[in-house]
Amino acid sequence: MRRLRAWLFRLAGQLHKGAADRELTAELESHLKLHIEDNLRAGMNAEQARRQALIKLGGIEQTKESYRDRKGLPMLETLLQDLRFAARMLRKNLGVTAIVVVTLALGVGANTAIFGLVNGLLLQRLPVPAAEEIAALVIKSGDSSLGALGFSYPQFVEFREQTAPICEVFGSATAWRLNFTAERHSDTLTIGGVSSNYFSALGVKPALGRLVLPGEGEHPGEPAILVLSYSFWQRRFGGDPRVIGKQVRVGGKPATIVGVMEKEFRGQFTVFEMDAYAPLSTAFDDSRASNFWNSRDIHMMLVLGRLKPGVTLAQAQSRFDVISRRLAAQYPVTDKDLSVRVMDERLSRPIPYANNAFIVFSGLFLILGALVLLLACTNILNILMARASVRQREMAIRAALGGARYRLIRQMLTETMLTALLGGIAGVTLGAGLNHLASSTHLLDIPVRLGFGFDWRVFAYALAVVVFTAIAAGLSPALRASRADVNTVLHQGGRPDAGGKARHKVRGDLMGAQVAGSLMLLIVAGLFVRSLRAVEHMDIGFDPNQLLNVRLDPSVSNFSETQTKEFYRSLETRVRALPGVESVSLASAVPVAYMLGKQSIYIEGRPVPPGQKAPEVLFNSVDAPYFETLRIRILLGRAFTDADSESSPRVAIVNETMAKHFWPNGSPIGKRFSLTGDAGPFAEVVGVARDGKYRVLAEDPQPYFYVPLTQDFAAQRTLQIRSAMPPDSLAPVVQHEIQALDANDPIEEIQTMKESLGGTLGYFIYRLGASLAAAMGLLGLLLAVVGVYGVVSYAATQRTQELGIRMALGASPRQILFLLLRQGAQLVAAGLLFGLAGAWLLTRVMSHMLVGVSPSDPVTYVSVAALLSSITLLACWIPARRARRVDPMVALRYE
Amino acid sequence: MGDKANDKKDVWQGTLALMVLKTLQAMGPLHGYGIARRIEQTSGDLLAVNYGTLYPALLKLEQEGYIRSEWGFSDNNRKAKYYKLTRAGRKQLNKEEREWEETTAILARFLAPGEGRS
Repeated sequence: MRRLRAWLFRLAGQLHKGAADRELTAELESHLKLHIEDNLRAGMNAEQARRQALIKLGGIEQTKESYRDRKGLPMLETLLQDLRFAARMLRKNLGVTAIVVVTLALGVGANTAIFGLVNGLLLQRLPVPAAEEIAALVIKSGDSSLGALGFSYPQFVEFREQTAPICEVFGSATAWRLNFTAERHSDTLTIGGVSSNYFSALGVKPALGRLVLPGEGEHPGEPAILVLSYSFWQRRFGGDPRVIGKQVRVGGKPATIVGVMEKEFRGQFTVFEMDAYAPLSTAFDDSRASNFWNSRDIHMMLVLGRLKPGVTLAQAQSRFDVISRRLAAQYPVTDKDLSVRVMDERLSRPIPYANNAFIVFSGLFLILGALVLLLACTNILNILMARASVRQREMAIRAALGGARYRLIRQMLTETMLTALLGGIAGVTLGAGLNHLASSTHLLDIPVRLGFGFDWRVFAYALAVVVFTAIAAGLSPALRASRADVNTVLHQGGRPDAGGKARHKVRGDLMGAQVAGSLMLLIVAGLFVRSLRAVEHMDIGFDPNQLLNVRLDPSVSNFSETQTKEFYRSLETRVRALPGVESVSLASAVPVAYMLGKQSIYIEGRPVPPGQKAPEVLFNSVDAPYFETLRIRILLGRAFTDADSESSPRVAIVNETMAKHFWPNGSPIGKRFSLTGDAGPFAEVVGVARDGKYRVLAEDPQPYFYVPLTQDFAAQRTLQIRSAMPPDSLAPVVQHEIQALDANDPIEEIQTMKESLGGTLGYFIYRLGASLAAAMGLLGLLLAVVGVYGVVSYAATQRTQELGIRMALGASPRQILFLLLRQGAQLVAAGLLFGLAGAWLLTRVMSHMLVGVSPSDPVTYVSVAALLSSITLLACWIPARRARRVDPMVALRYE
Repeated sequence: MGDKANDKKDVWQGTLALMVLKTLQAMGPLHGYGIARRIEQTSGDLLAVNYGTLYPALLKLEQEGYIRSEWGFSDNNRKAKYYKLTRAGRKQLNKEEREWEETTAILARFLAPGEGRS
């Protein structure tokens, strides 16, 4: 307490210096007078009396000084002094300061942006109350190589009931892209179907209206309702509170908006934000959906659980294990080898299928960020070293005048720290800006959000980065400058930093490190870019250019099967007649997008052994012109024709992989398989189509087959139009034709095939990786070039005198140029070697992120190394050329 | 960084503070010069070198709230700053005196030659 009181007084004393000083002077004066009087009384003469009194006191100024130290806070005072001085120095060397600040801002900015991303994606918990209780429940079937499936609805319900004492299980079904119509205007929404207890278990609240209530929405046939996300509500309705109760159409079907989600909750998936939520009964409301409610084979639910307070993950895990075993015994065919893993929700991001790819991806980009920072640090270190040698004289003189070494070091570090803070502030602002930009941009079909992770962790990270930089870049120049010996410095005729062979070596090492660091960045970037190019040029089995997809669901209009067929038939005829349309077809699914069907198949004559499951194969129902519209080549046999009708024999077309897999010996044409069971009915294979990509771009070839839409009725179909014009220009015309046929507007989504492929299943992740890595690579290159240029031109100025002598002794400008270039080239070469080794190590983690290019792809390594070495040599050559032109007379007189 | 010197200074300042408090208790309100003289007289040459060191010590005691100062006039009508003990200062002095006695007693026993030991 006493200490605190004293400290406060001292702090106050720090602020009112003048008054205290005057008071002390008065006090000392009275002290002296009293003493002098005493002395006079003791018989001294006036002068002696005064002298003695002064001696006894020990000097007025000394007393004042020690008094002042006690009065204020000397620590604070020196700090303020250092800061004032530092600020003056920084202002005086505005150019240097600006370069350091900008360099640091780039480094810190890149790092905070990336860390913000990682923070939001991986470190922050869901923005719900007691988020630490939320666990991800990941269901696996023993041999599944995918890592995880979803839960089927019946499984979900069983787990929810049987774990109720320790955990509230809730979940959402895969998101849909659906056409949304309100106020006579349509757009496409991402909608998540949620279990009735989803919001209550999460503990989120509505911003407006209500959410899905417990007990609501898990019985097909309940009235359709919709909860809007906050951002969609803002975007689409301008935050109008009158949306509650509004009648809208979702996927053509009427629904009522009942509420708006609170702003903070942006969905359970860190990367995607739902536009709206609907209960499961709204999402699965018709005959098509009966499989969802009843089948244990339709795995569509992503499931979370809120553990009851005090229940650990391990306790929950053992409970889930018991239930998994019980279900496996109860349903041996479907639930055999079933297991559920209970894990920290953050480890299951973005969705549990992804097998930690996210963590590796984040780790890689954090390393790239660190490399950029290291490059920035190296540049700053370089600049500070140069400044330190210039200031050696100043430091030596200050040391000679009694400046303690630690004070000098502290002074220099204060300067660096101040600069670093400025750079840090600029960097965080930059990072926050980038982050904001990323989070406010709707990049895609799916509302991907990237930025949003700005919280204390990011600031702590940025602060750590700044302090690290200041110490890493500032300590060694400070030590160096403070070590200056006044004798040497003053005797060098004022030439700072003479003959510093060791110093040149340090700077050379720095330059090598820069080349190495930027080479690593550029190689990673190069690999990502090449991978993107490989993906974009990958053979996906069909031609995605000039295609428009229109997803339709005329079941809104309560058409019968015959009416539906008639609707599609007339629609195809009308659209085919539109100008610019080359070919039109219908399919129930679109590859690498949505609505992919999977079927158990039974090969004729090869019954499935009892207790085993029939193999499941992806398929599509298409009409006759489909292969022509998508330009899928039929390699063997024939495509479907109009003769393949309801009444004709059942037919199918298989892809190459399916043909090889099921009929390895000989042609599959004429072979038969069934979709219902070993007893048939069987469909005859009439053709073999080329392999393509069906689920995601990076998949291995997998079996796939087609059946005619006439023989496998689907109400929901996608109209695919190949046109000679830009496909999106067709959209309004096609929309018009559809509305003319069906006033209920059954359009669920209109998109070009290219857009659809740019989605999350398609090119998106590759484009994101490539653009992020390319940005980092370019930043690294920029920093390296600036660094190399700086080192070489500094070395050239330092050696002006030496070069002058060499020239005076007859060295040609050419030789001088070579001398300087050789040194640079050696350093660049060493840097390249280390960089190649570092890049090789770093890229080992990338093998799962790259498609069509190996992490040790020689083309990338060689071309990037060549590019970097030519650019850095150019950066050496320019200052070297300038040095060559030096006039020997000027050089010798220099300094 | 001169830790040794600092330690010594701390001990010195601690002792000096105690002496200042004791002086003020014995003499009543007194100015800096008076305190210095008094300490010099009682302690012999402890302050002989330098009265100036007293002032930071006085300031510290004042910041800690053990003494209070105000301007007044000396016997021969000189303006001077007078220091006097506060209640907290009196309490502190008692405490320090007790502690000091305990310490010296312990040290005395410890340093006494051969008492009960070999």
